[in-house]
Amino acid sequence: MSRKLTLAIAALLCSVSLLAQEYSGGVKGTVINRADKEAVAGATLVLYQGAVQVASVSADQDGNFLIENLKDGMYDLVIDAPNFLQTRVNVTVNDGYVKNMFNLSMTRVKQISEEDADDMAEFDDEGGYNDNPTILFGQNDVFNNIAGFNFSNVRFRTRGLASESQEVYLAGVKMNDALTGYSPFSLWSGLNEATRTKMSVSGAESSDYGVGGVNGLVNIPGTASYVRKGWRGSVLTNSALYRLRLMLSYASGPLDNGWSYAFNVSTRLGGNDWIKGVYYRSFGYYFSVEKKFGEEHKLSAAFMAAPGQRGAQMAATQEVYDLMGDNMYNPNWGYQNGKVRNARVRKTHEPIAILKYDYTPSERFNASATVLYRFGKNGYTALDWNDAADPKPDYYRNLPSYFKYENDDLQRYSEIKAAWVEDSWKVQRDPAVTQINWDRLYNVNRDNRDAYGRARSKYVQEERRTDQRDFNIAGSMKWRATDWFTLTAGLNSRINRTEYYKVIADLLGGDYFLNTNNFAERDFAAQEARYQYDLDYYFANGKAQVLGVGDKYGYDYYARVANLNGWAAGRFAVGRFSATLAGKLGYVGFYREGLMRNGLFAGVWPSGGEIIDPVSGQTLTSYDPKTGAVISSYGKSAKANFFVYTAKANLEYLIAGHSRVYANIAYLTDAPTFNKSFISPRTRNTLMSGLTTSKTFSTDLNYQLALNGFNLRATLYYTTIKDQSDVMSVYDDLQNAFTNFALTGINQRNMGLELGFKVPTPLTGLSVQGVLAWGQFIYTSNPRLTQTVDNSSEIVLENEVVPYWMSHPVSKKDASGVAILDETGNYVLDYHQKHYVPGTPQLAASLGLSWNHNYWFIDLDADYFANSYLSMNPLYRTDASTAGTDNVVTPEEVEYMAAQEKFAPCFLMNLSVGKSWYIKRKYQIGFSLNAKNLLNNKNVKTGGFEQNRLVDNTQDQSRYYRFDSKYFYMSGFNYMLNIYFRF
Amino acid sequence: MKKTVIFLAAAVAALSACQEWQPVFTGEYKAPASYEKVTLEPTHTLAELAAMYNQGNPLTFDWDSDVIVAGKVSSSDETGNFYKSLYIQDETGGMELKIGKTSLYGDYKPGQTIYVKLGGLTVGVYGYKALGTFNGKPSGGSGMVQIGYMYEYLPGEEPEYETSYMDATTIIDSHVFRGEVGEPVVPVVLDENDLPGRTATLKDCPYLGKMVTIKDLKYDGRIFTLVYVNSNKDHKASSNRIFLSDTDYGVTTWAMSKNKFLENLDKGLFNSVLIGNSGDYNYGTVYDNIETVRRTATAATVSQYFMKGNTEVVIRTSGYAKFADTEIPLEVLQGKQLVDVTGVLTLYQGGIQITVNSLDDITFHE
Repeated sequence: MSRKLTLAIAALLCSVSLLAQEYSGGVKGTVINRADKEAVAGATLVLYQGAVQVASVSADQDGNFLIENLKDGMYDLVIDAPNFLQTRVNVTVNDGYVKNMFNLSMTRVKQISEEDADDMAEFDDEGGYNDNPTILFGQNDVFNNIAGFNFSNVRFRTRGLASESQEVYLAGVKMNDALTGYSPFSLWSGLNEATRTKMSVSGAESSDYGVGGVNGLVNIPGTASYVRKGWRGSVLTNSALYRLRLMLSYASGPLDNGWSYAFNVSTRLGGNDWIKGVYYRSFGYYFSVEKKFGEEHKLSAAFMAAPGQRGAQMAATQEVYDLMGDNMYNPNWGYQNGKVRNARVRKTHEPIAILKYDYTPSERFNASATVLYRFGKNGYTALDWNDAADPKPDYYRNLPSYFKYENDDLQRYSEIKAAWVEDSWKVQRDPAVTQINWDRLYNVNRDNRDAYGRARSKYVQEERRTDQRDFNIAGSMKWRATDWFTLTAGLNSRINRTEYYKVIADLLGGDYFLNTNNFAERDFAAQEARYQYDLDYYFANGKAQVLGVGDKYGYDYYARVANLNGWAAGRFAVGRFSATLAGKLGYVGFYREGLMRNGLFAGVWPSGGEIIDPVSGQTLTSYDPKTGAVISSYGKSAKANFFVYTAKANLEYLIAGHSRVYANIAYLTDAPTFNKSFISPRTRNTLMSGLTTSKTFSTDLNYQLALNGFNLRATLYYTTIKDQSDVMSVYDDLQNAFTNFALTGINQRNMGLELGFKVPTPLTGLSVQGVLAWGQFIYTSNPRLTQTVDNSSEIVLENEVVPYWMSHPVSKKDASGVAILDETGNYVLDYHQKHYVPGTPQLAASLGLSWNHNYWFIDLDADYFANSYLSMNPLYRTDASTAGTDNVVTPEEVEYMAAQEKFAPCFLMNLSVGKSWYIKRKYQIGFSLNAKNLLNNKNVKTGGFEQNRLVDNTQDQSRYYRFDSKYFYMSGFNYMLNIYFRF
Repeated sequence: MKKTVIFLAAAVAALSACQEWQPVFTGEYKAPASYEKVTLEPTHTLAELAAMYNQGNPLTFDWDSDVIVAGKVSSSDETGNFYKSLYIQDETGGMELKIGKTSLYGDYKPGQTIYVKLGGLTVGVYGYKALGTFNGKPSGGSGMVQIGYMYEYLPGEEPEYETSYMDATTIIDSHVFRGEVGEPVVPVVLDENDLPGRTATLKDCPYLGKMVTIKDLKYDGRIFTLVYVNSNKDHKASSNRIFLSDTDYGVTTWAMSKNKFLENLDKGLFNSVLIGNSGDYNYGTVYDNIETVRRTATAATVSQYFMKGNTEVVIRTSGYAKFADTEIPLEVLQGKQLVDVTGVLTLYQGGIQITVNSLDDITFHE
């Protein structure tokens, strides 16, 4: 097949030189990807004269290679690289010259990355569960290519690290969210053509675009000349995400007059086979122009966005899934007039504008500078209510277990009621019970008339907004000073102002809503000022603000973040050795600026005077019980400032032309993100105490081979991260308020191995491929916990150690399972049960067959996943929770309360088939069909969380019980069918 | 090839043609219709239903029973003084409907006619105690007949109540039906003669369970409230019970929220109160256990005693009511002002209680 794809390199062949000298001849050139003209690093080049192998070398990181000491003559050059078709070219060495082949282009085996990098169902992030892809597609690496495709279903994370640890760049600007660090793929989802070209490194390697972290870096150039030339269109249907995707793109390629231009538009529409209520109404647009001024200067501009709406999915307890007989049950939707309506919808339109300048005065030096601005709106709707029953269908009081629980200590004896409820869920499947009852919400709202006959909504749909203004400047340069030394360096700066607020999205049949705090109203019924969300409005108008659709309410504040980084990397290459030393110095600063004065945390007047409620005469200004500082919802918080640095070394040794050993070592510090730094950002300016930078140490050792269709990469890695912080915010209906858990001092250790291989078989075009990722990701510290409630300045737990976070003791038991006491009356320790970092299988393996022939490809893979764990909440690991109401700790309580759930292992199979045709050598038409989860396994837990709540109303009053955990499951059998054309 | 491509195109078209396009195209949803107002023919009046009950024997109606009662909603839980239940009334009397949900005033409006199908529900009494004397005064008497659900309990245990809340949406919606929303009920103004005796039922006092107005009440300087040493522990154990009764203890609010209770506790108002049931004061004083009391304190419901002529009338207010901590005017406490009250009239162990919907239902005059 590759023979037919002989590349159009003839035009690139140089004229022959004249000078003759024996054995001074050679051949050199650069191996590039045909699609994006980017270098293919590490390609293997074997030179034959007739049937005799003459030489074998590897291309370096920039795709360059050189074979020296060649006699004049005719040679065959065979080029191999992982996931590229083998390429053969004839080379003639004449007159002892080193023949420059310039660019030798290779064609990718297939485009497996038709999926968007963020093509994951939108998950709800309540409960601290977040979901982001963590495998960077499109890498020239056998492990990442196979794992990226086969492991995405189970939310596999490379090396067990969170998505924040992967740096994603656009046009040279780091795009990870300024407030959360999350990877930003959703900003350009659906713009696959515009963002297809990527340059990436994995692990702790350094890249040309930045020093990077310890889990890879990808840069998407994103400007016109990087978009594949010609027209491309595709029609796609995907049974797990959306019914229909339409995409069209065109790129001019570099024109003779120096211009290039490109556009890409797309839409993704509809629901899916598995999760009701989840739908897409998403669009994408991208335009870019580029102009080259001579050989030295290039100016590019691009503008893109992926506006749209996506219905979200919410986790539920196993009880609910079992009642519904469906692990993909979604409680977020209900019927409204017979139509499915989702209460939780992500609504975004966040454009990105890019202006980039490239300067290439010589082959040895190039530099670029980018200005990038991200803006627009990001909203997420949810139901809100004032003095009314919780509308969630799976609210725990609506379930059979609330009425009848097998353990009588919970005092739930009502078997008949439980049977009624079970019947309504399991047998009747009455959507008014099992889903949101929109009819009731409208009726309650419409009937809630005030004295003037106007309907005050009790239920509304709110839209939580996170509107960013993100301004970035980045510059970098690369200087090949000598043959053995290359210097890259850069500077980047970011200024971000994000406004967090809520607006009324829908009054659901009512006429208005009030800007008052229902939860505070319960506690401070007699003090109207205290339950105002907007105290300044109340003081100015003497009453709470009456809200209509679109009005801000609840909270309103700016997050202001600034950072500045400088970095440099020097690469030394001597013979087969090369080494890179890289470093970064940076500053991160942020603060909160409250724009709405909450009656509970009124702060002080600008003059510094206390705020007194003229009606009740009470002082509204409150003080931190510990520090004595004013607690304020309004104005600027203290500034958090952090200095961070990174130091890295990468070493590489070419064993032969086709294999290399390389090792990386890195130490870096990172500032905590804004979203994990305030104890309750919705209500006050208070920073967590003990905030500090996290410290990451990582090292890895790798072996890579690419020869004659054999591809192998093996890696051992070891990473520790110390002093991480986290904040979880959960609605607690016992407190009637949001409860915030702030954790500091979380340490973890991730170590393991990665193996990826592809081995050709004697059968033409057929290879065996596989990956193995085994790791152990554990917690290595007991962090400190501070618990606060949004409604009160009281600190429920103050910087207390969470003693059962990293492990819990398991005591020795007798045959009947009763804990044994020693002669002094103490329990006897058996062992400590480790607790694991959740969010990914710690063992993942895949084995498959891959067949490529005559423009057909077929891949069949079998995957096995194990050692996945549920994420833990800190509350269940505290002394107070394990001691229970009677304050006596028993092994039973500890082992029950502190245990971490391990998910069952699973076995999956995937199949991909594709074929393309060329018509008149000009048009190409093709299709690919990816069928995932062929065995239709519907019992694979991919994540979830523990509820941050305790059952305390028990008969014995000696211990607490957990609330049931909530889970997400993987979809059953699903397919994606894509038809594309190119010309 | 052509056929393959056409086939694939048809496949995409077929696979993407599905019914969930509504939110995709419009994002608009039409407002649902208003509830259809139900009209049912009641088979029994509330008094007739109450008469079917025999003391001590909760009456559970068969599934296929066709007994239906109807009444207008008189109570509202908007201020939190009523909790999880509502009162309905017809010409013959009023009755509590133990729904078991909070914020009921959003779903059942004051003045709305409610129909209750009794089949599967249970009618029982709350607050009955055999007649007797206590401290030389008559005690005990009737409680109130309520509509609720069967009270389930563990084998071998004593049932604590005769009925339980319906609780489950599916039980409520298959038994309780919304009718027309009419004008709010008009309270009947009662004289002292109209007030029920200790053993009254709907047979001899049609005002029980109804919204009534009683005028010219005079403060009697006594409260009654029951709190616990450890509110997480057994509420029936004498050793855990603290009765505040027979005097006012300096409690000058209609009830006590948790904060108010703690404030009063820390003022020492309850320090010398003996723990235990009457005649079983063997557990020390509140002060002896003050740390536990403080740690597990909850809101406290308070009965404030008034006199209508020579008849005792209690205004009973929940500690969870929004107006719990509102001060009773000093003039009232000093007996200089009288109180007019409008609320639901009930009997608890023969004693007359009034529960108000809101503080607007209590007025003061010379």
